[in-house]
Amino acid sequence: MRRTLLALPGLATLLLASSAHTQPAPTPPTPTAASDTFAIGEGGDLLVDGGLVLGFPTALPTGLSRGIGGGVTFGHCPLRWGARAAWVTATENGPAWEVTHSDLRLRVTGSAQHDAGRGSLGIRIAAGGTLVHESRLRNQGMRAGLTGDELETSTFAMLPAADLEAVIGLKILGPWLMIMSGGPSVALLDGALRTSWTAQLGVAWQP
Amino acid sequence: MKRSLFLFALAACGDLDNFGGTATPLATITVTTTGDFEAVHQADTGEADLHVALVWSEQWFPEAMCFLPPESPEVATVVEAGCRDPLSFTPSRVTAVAPLVPNEPVSLAITDLPAADLMVGTVNARVGYASFVVFDDRDHDGVMQLPRPQRVPGGGFEEPDPMMPMEAPPFTTIVYGASFVSMTEPDTRLAFREGDFIESGFYPRRGCGEPLPSFSVLSAGGFSFEDAIAATLAGTLPSQDPATCSERSADDASVTIPFRAPAEVSEVACEQRRADSSVRYRQPPAESPDFTDRAFACAAIPNLGGDPIAPEGTVQLVISSRADAPCKSITHFTLFGCDEDESLMCDAYEWDFRESPPAWWPCPVTR
Repeated sequence: MRRTLLALPGLATLLLASSAHTQPAPTPPTPTAASDTFAIGEGGDLLVDGGLVLGFPTALPTGLSRGIGGGVTFGHCPLRWGARAAWVTATENGPAWEVTHSDLRLRVTGSAQHDAGRGSLGIRIAAGGTLVHESRLRNQGMRAGLTGDELETSTFAMLPAADLEAVIGLKILGPWLMIMSGGPSVALLDGALRTSWTAQLGVAWQP
Repeated sequence: MKRSLFLFALAACGDLDNFGGTATPLATITVTTTGDFEAVHQADTGEADLHVALVWSEQWFPEAMCFLPPESPEVATVVEAGCRDPLSFTPSRVTAVAPLVPNEPVSLAITDLPAADLMVGTVNARVGYASFVVFDDRDHDGVMQLPRPQRVPGGGFEEPDPMMPMEAPPFTTIVYGASFVSMTEPDTRLAFREGDFIESGFYPRRGCGEPLPSFSVLSAGGFSFEDAIAATLAGTLPSQDPATCSERSADDASVTIPFRAPAEVSEVACEQRRADSSVRYRQPPAESPDFTDRAFACAAIPNLGGDPIAPEGTVQLVISSRADAPCKSITHFTLFGCDEDESLMCDAYEWDFRESPPAWWPCPVTR
């Protein structure tokens, strides 16, 4: 690692020198990428998006949930509404149990959005429920010959939840956008509010 | 609307356990004691805080002096006083403890498997054995301490500070019974088998059935020390009487442990300093050790063959543990030696008193 760091300045020098020696002679101007190279659509009232979701598990006290999510948004800018769903899962080990939480997040959303050129910036409020499926596997249980409930337990819980996310969209080509979102999330667990965060990176289609 | 709110609130009532909740025991064994505890209770130790513990065993080989024919009556006395039964159960680790009321059944929950170092065999055919031990928890911490044999203080860096006399720490464990004390007695043991079973000299049960997969409770009648010697010389394992054998699943097994005098069973809890039959020869102290209640003798260095471990004619002083010590041991002193080497053939001796032995040295000096 140290050797690599030491080599970097030398490499940069070589690149600069090489760049100076290979400075091209003036040539006729060539077309460059401009804002109209990839034509984009105006976009309608419907936006469908989907992508990869990361976040803190809704009910598991540790770990990183990963999964997929998507949603649909209706309405004109700046105020829009929609619905979203995501499925994420996380597995962590404790002294006695290997616990897997699979969260199915169902939300209705309302958002305010500002468009600027190809981009858009918005804030989205979502409320709904998270259906948590908990699966617990007793550590060493299979080696010890445990079966049934002694080996594995499974249960569901529906938790009220809400999210507040910043949403950034970038129109790429035609009706296609790249969408990023993320922000805090809160759920009601055992009578107490439990905070976490969630983020999504994906693509959207806005005909 | 009210109905919707009610359903929503109902749905919010999850019963997630996460990492909490009671860990399902991997096995639960019912242990019952029998006999009159007061008849064996050491009254001078006060009220007993009885517990039962699951103690896993280790492979242990006694030092050569303890099983070779003694060279003199004095050495025989030291062996008698300082050597434990060569076929004793030897403890390694305690993994479960539960309070116990005499003559009432108690459930001992086993929540962990024995670690790999407690099992003998290959990864696809290995087994571990454990004894259920009834003990008085003298310090009331709910933990079973495994005492170690107390050696006679030596010289060199072990020289006792005269301002701080060395006293043996008080033993916090007094054993009053065990399901597996020695292979020379009938035993009931917990086995954990993983994969196949390969018969070996690890607490052998030749003539009995194989341990069941996973946890099982095994019983056998034991064999004599003479049988073990004869079998070893014949290149086989000593046999158990098949009529005394049983192999039961841990789910439906119970274990009965008779109360016994601590002197009969205390070795079950004695963690051994060395398990490979090797001996550490130590520097004698400048002042005479306290020989009270100890047997001692001058003896040759035993050799089981192979490379010599001491110059020919070397004499050692062997001193037994005290008669009332819960853990038997022998301390070996030599007039020359080295701390880092188990043999006395080291390149540079860290101590060599052959020219001027301590005034109290009772053995012949060889040069």
